Amino acid sequence: MIFVPNKKLMKNSTLFFRTLFFIILIAGTAHLVTYASQQKVNTNESLETEVSFEDTVEQTKQESKTEENNRDLETDYIIGKWKVIYDDKDFKGGIVYEIKKEGNVFNASTLEYQDEKGNSQKAKKIKTLVIKKFDGYKGKGIYIITYKGKKYDVECDIDMVDENTFKLSYESYGYSDIETWERQ
Amino acid sequence: MIEFLSKQIDWIDVEYWFYIFNDLSLLYIILPFFVLELIRYAYQKRLSKDLVLDSIANVITFGAFFLIEIILGLLAVTKLYFWVYHNFSLPNLELNWITIITCILLADFAYYWEHRMMHRIGIGWATHTVHHSSPHFNMSVAYRFGPFDAILPILFSLPIVMLGYDPILVLLSEVFVQVFQTLLHTEIVGKLTKPVEFIFNTPSHHRVHHGSNRQYWDKNYAGILIIWDRMLGTFEPEKEKVIYGISEPLNSVNPITVFFHGITRFLRKLKQIEGIKNKFLAFVKPPDWMPQESSKSND
Repeated sequence: MIFVPNKKLMKNSTLFFRTLFFIILIAGTAHLVTYASQQKVNTNESLETEVSFEDTVEQTKQESKTEENNRDLETDYIIGKWKVIYDDKDFKGGIVYEIKKEGNVFNASTLEYQDEKGNSQKAKKIKTLVIKKFDGYKGKGIYIITYKGKKYDVECDIDMVDENTFKLSYESYGYSDIETWERQ
Repeated sequence: MIEFLSKQIDWIDVEYWFYIFNDLSLLYIILPFFVLELIRYAYQKRLSKDLVLDSIANVITFGAFFLIEIILGLLAVTKLYFWVYHNFSLPNLELNWITIITCILLADFAYYWEHRMMHRIGIGWATHTVHHSSPHFNMSVAYRFGPFDAILPILFSLPIVMLGYDPILVLLSEVFVQVFQTLLHTEIVGKLTKPVEFIFNTPSHHRVHHGSNRQYWDKNYAGILIIWDRMLGTFEPEKEKVIYGISEPLNSVNPITVFFHGITRFLRKLKQIEGIKNKFLAFVKPPDWMPQESSKSND
């Protein structure tokens, strides 16, 4: 008995275009949503920057008047550019980070990579450290470590050595390290 | 909504949830379900020596498959995937909900095509026939693999990595699809409600896929979503009672015979085929393809 298929096979071109459509639809959605969320973050960041520029002078005057803002002066000196030297298997050289105050926390993002010979290259802005608590001497936060392509949030401690140096220490899954951050 | 979908997630959390479903499901679903199936076989007086030995052979083939997977995993995944990810991919996607959901969808779609290729090209069927050669249908059959079953998936998951998805997430998603598929290898669950049967791959749909009845051949390739089959013309509902197995029954429970029978049959076929070009074509042409001269000489 010869089997007669009850349905015709779909044309290869139909299969190809339908497949392409699904891939573009699914992967495109992921890229669009990620892009939209990044745009939103960038917009918020630039708005904050604009506001801070406009109000800088006035804020500075007010800051010195109030007790609360005096406390800011005690901690805000951490804002600025800091460099860390690494001597790992994966990376040898320096990374310059920029610490900014965003709300009540200080965030450090990558700014520049430097190789062992001192050649530098602008880095993609990646948030690496979030200092949640800081009293001017000691602090606590989250250090975002990339290991084998994956990001891990690790709790860390900040200890100011002097106003131009601080130690960042963390321990994760039995691995611990202390980094020295020096003001640029 | 965008805020929720784009909310960044920690790797530790993602790996934890995949660990619960991908790894631990063997203990809390698959093994208990298999025991239930054995009790059912005993109750129905179908628990035979052949069935027990067949199940043992299935688990042994999985061990051999897993060994090959580990070797390939070390070489291909950590090197090739990450190399492609860093050099030939779209902008790398952050780890958030939309990335995870779409990665699972793409892994499921890739599974559909990879599975279809396994059935429709000679070398694919030479390895995948092992999975279909059991005359029984239970959870242990899900672990019945052929020697090259880990190779074709690599070709289909690399494009996902090239779309900007983290290789580890792609692998976890593929295992997720595979574990979902495992749960479908049962006769205990009948047909589910219509909306579920319409969207998802179910035990009923997968029984059809394992059928040796002629109208069930090369149907229902899906992993999680049966809509891929519906939209790409390979869907077949379960109507006639399914007779499990392959068109040329294996009639063996020897794990070595089971594991290599597809390859030995394919090599035998290659011997019959004349000409280098035709021998190469046998690798990529459908499993039942024979060049005209060879088929005439066989007649």
